[in-house]
Amino acid sequence: MKIVVCVKQVPATTAEKRYTSELRLDRAATEAVINPLDEYAIEQALRLKEGGVVDEVVYLSMGPDSASEALRRSLAMGGDGGVLVTDPALAGADQWVTARVLAAALDRLAPEVTLMGMASDDARGSLVPGAVAAIRGLPLLAYGAELRLTDGAAQIRRLNPTGFDILEAPLPVVASVTDQVGEPRYASLKGIMAARRVELTTWALADLGLDPAGVASLTRLVGADPPPAKPPAQVISGVGPDEAATRIADWLAERKLIA
Amino acid sequence: MADVAFLAEFADGHPTRSALELAAGAAELAAAAGGGAVGLAYGPGAADGAASLGAAGAARVVVLDSAAAPAVTVAGPLVEAVRAAAPVAVLAPATPNGRDLAAVLVGSLGLPAFGPVRAVHMEGGAVRCEMSTLQGAMITASQSASSAPATSVVLVSSGTYAPSEGSGTAVVSQAPAADSPQTKVRIVESATEAAAIAALEEAEIIVAGGRGVGSEAGFEALNQLAAALGGVVGASRAAADAGWVPYQLQIGQTGKVVKPALYLAVGISGAIQHRVGMQAAEHIVAINRDPDAPIGEFADLFVVGDLFEIVPRLTAEIERRKGA
Amino acid sequence: MAPPTSTQSQSSETGYRLSREHDELRALVRQLAEERIAPRAAEIDAKAEFPWDLKQLLAEHDLLGTGFEERHGGTALDGIGQAIVVEEVARADATTSLIPVIQKLGALPIMLAGSEEQKDRYFPRLASGEWLPAFALTEAGAGSDVASVRMRARREGEDYLLSGTKRFITHGSVANVLTVFALTDPDAGGRKGMSGFIVETDTPGFSVARLEHKMGIRGSPTAELTFDEVRVPAANRLGEDGDGFKIAMSTLDRSRLAIASQAVGIAQGATDAALAYAAERRQFGERIVDFQAIQFMLADMASQTEAARQLTYAACARVDDEDPNLAYWTSAAKLIAGDTAMRATTDAVQVFGGYGYITEYPVERMMRDAKITQLYEGTQQIQRLVIARRLLARAGVESRGR
Repeated sequence: MKIVVCVKQVPATTAEKRYTSELRLDRAATEAVINPLDEYAIEQALRLKEGGVVDEVVYLSMGPDSASEALRRSLAMGGDGGVLVTDPALAGADQWVTARVLAAALDRLAPEVTLMGMASDDARGSLVPGAVAAIRGLPLLAYGAELRLTDGAAQIRRLNPTGFDILEAPLPVVASVTDQVGEPRYASLKGIMAARRVELTTWALADLGLDPAGVASLTRLVGADPPPAKPPAQVISGVGPDEAATRIADWLAERKLIA
Repeated sequence: MADVAFLAEFADGHPTRSALELAAGAAELAAAAGGGAVGLAYGPGAADGAASLGAAGAARVVVLDSAAAPAVTVAGPLVEAVRAAAPVAVLAPATPNGRDLAAVLVGSLGLPAFGPVRAVHMEGGAVRCEMSTLQGAMITASQSASSAPATSVVLVSSGTYAPSEGSGTAVVSQAPAADSPQTKVRIVESATEAAAIAALEEAEIIVAGGRGVGSEAGFEALNQLAAALGGVVGASRAAADAGWVPYQLQIGQTGKVVKPALYLAVGISGAIQHRVGMQAAEHIVAINRDPDAPIGEFADLFVVGDLFEIVPRLTAEIERRKGA
Repeated sequence: MAPPTSTQSQSSETGYRLSREHDELRALVRQLAEERIAPRAAEIDAKAEFPWDLKQLLAEHDLLGTGFEERHGGTALDGIGQAIVVEEVARADATTSLIPVIQKLGALPIMLAGSEEQKDRYFPRLASGEWLPAFALTEAGAGSDVASVRMRARREGEDYLLSGTKRFITHGSVANVLTVFALTDPDAGGRKGMSGFIVETDTPGFSVARLEHKMGIRGSPTAELTFDEVRVPAANRLGEDGDGFKIAMSTLDRSRLAIASQAVGIAQGATDAALAYAAERRQFGERIVDFQAIQFMLADMASQTEAARQLTYAACARVDDEDPNLAYWTSAAKLIAGDTAMRATTDAVQVFGGYGYITEYPVERMMRDAKITQLYEGTQQIQRLVIARRLLARAGVESRGR
């Protein structure tokens, strides 16, 4: 059984430079990383392989040449192969184009399970898994806290406000998982060294039988601005708790948030 | 002249809050587009309750299915209904169910997709959507490309529109049955783990606790404050990971995104991963003993002090004012 | 007498270059260190407990086998790669950084003088981290003066019986196997009569007499070891009788480089912590990082740490090349790095002000940890002797110093 995990390379979330009693992460905004939410999909796929249910885990990414980095980082965690779809015509692709292209690649790879993270960290799109399912004509099992494979079917545990449902669909499926899957593993040094030796497959649009005109973005950006500046916070400090409570209540009352 | 459609999810025989919010939003947008709001109803009670969406703003409602089945299974009739109605936009809630259906629409019909949006307007006969990206660092405006189909799919976060209470009944029709691969998805088991947790996305007032609360017992004071305010309790990832609250209360990058009228952040530092889940709240009050906590940079009111001293006193003060 | 010639090191073709692989390695270790090691550092210091969980973590991520060949299950990283591992762990916690350091130090005598059979017997378990080694040379009366070792190794048939005491042995109480140095020929004196042995610690007669209470690296067990007629087969002797002193010196010439890396890591951790603190701390209405006095301190800390790092890498390249002058380089690196770590951590406490003195903040621990880098694996004074000896030799000046 084969799982293809779709991974996206995104800019790192700029962490606050903050000091606490532990040393804090400090990542440059220009550093490119695997979309953090995809790491959960990678972890889930590798666990299924370790459990003996899955024989092969392959990573698929669409992006510029440098997205091969994301594939190698994924392989450093574990896995068997990587496929990069790259083409100048795909620069700035929107969710529809991404889904269309990934679907074409997935049709060629024909896995029993296509697995993705629940959204991407940069645009927070989240529609790609479902759009891929629709294009490929496959059932969608999205937002799984856990993915299980049984004989010929896939199941996810999907949380809701009162508990959870177990949703099931026959293979092949398209699935997405959330961070409830559990902490993604670190790459090991041997994993990194092995990943360097893997030969990645690279496809351009022509290899997928796609015409650049057929994958033009359906949306366009017409403006980008920083958000309107917010006035600085009003600060209450250096007063006792009774005074603080009174002042907060006054503030809330002024804004009609309490009686 | 163009209609604006919206997903209207029913649960337990009633329209969900998102259905009512989107009805109002669709009506507002449709007025600008010169058409009417069209509800696409599904879920238990959809057939019986469809007409009542008129009071919420819908001109007409197409009933897709009333079965108690995963939302995604109505994809077949949904796609056909959207194809037939050819609205200028389909509004979908930014919930897992809403996203499932929005995604299947995008893939099946090849539609431009936007959102979750902060705002959506009509401009020159097409929709123009404003979104917050890069963890709030940028506000982008997008439209569909000129070569794109005329229907856009727009994800709308809870709290973007307020339900309106009008009058009138909507004209109801039944969508023809249509199969899709999504009908193969079925629920094989359901479990209720705890008393129903009020959906955070729908709350007007949220009292959220973070690492500073320190323990499960510490959240008791927040429960009481939330009750006094008529709100609900939420939490940062630190508190949820520590097991002090159920996972469903987690707000942030990997949790819920909320937009309440009041967000009271107690013992929360305000790191970016949490901020993206609540920065759109109308009023943000933070209580933290660290004067340099990042949350001070985007709160409206920042109170430096011991939350264990202040929160119970605040609860008492609010109760006192209610009684007076 | 001819005037002294240039003291400059013979220039050779040995340069060094950091690669993309080095960066990836650093990113991996840094992530592990920040997420899993740093949060444990204060507790390890307070409880003075050996961090078995972190040893397991390092082993699982193949970070204890970096000095071992692939055929033994190691990853055979170059010297700079091994330095990066130690540096990044030390940046988070000096105690934990001793785990990869001693994994190599304990095995070095076998790497330098052991037979293939001995390597095949022990290295697989060391490379995987299943077993921990330790290097047992120092005694109460033999610290800087290595030749003063008194422990005996009495030949009896095909075996040796080791008797005596070793002191200040890092990881002595947690090691599965030791490389031990004892006199096989007491009359010949330390330089000619010492031999090296591989001793498994479950051998009868071996015991841990006590553990030291220390100023710093408190989670690292520093043990006094007692050998009471510990039976060691001749197959466990390293090289020939009498080779011990040379093996020990050769080991120290290389192992002190790991201490240099540890010191660089400690200095970097202190510098980073001081910078982050100064950027948040406000006094007199401003961030203290905006005061020149603080900026000057930070600039000194950062640039001196970088100098120590680059010198360490240059030394690594020379060790990789088996440069005949490598001892000069490793001594210089350890000297500079150790002093830099002490200076940087002291300044870090200064930047923190009063907060730097309390245990809630990590810099006081870093300062206590840094001190050892000026003391073990050859005190700074010994390093200066080594360097001076080489300088004089190269300049053709006869050495008459004490």
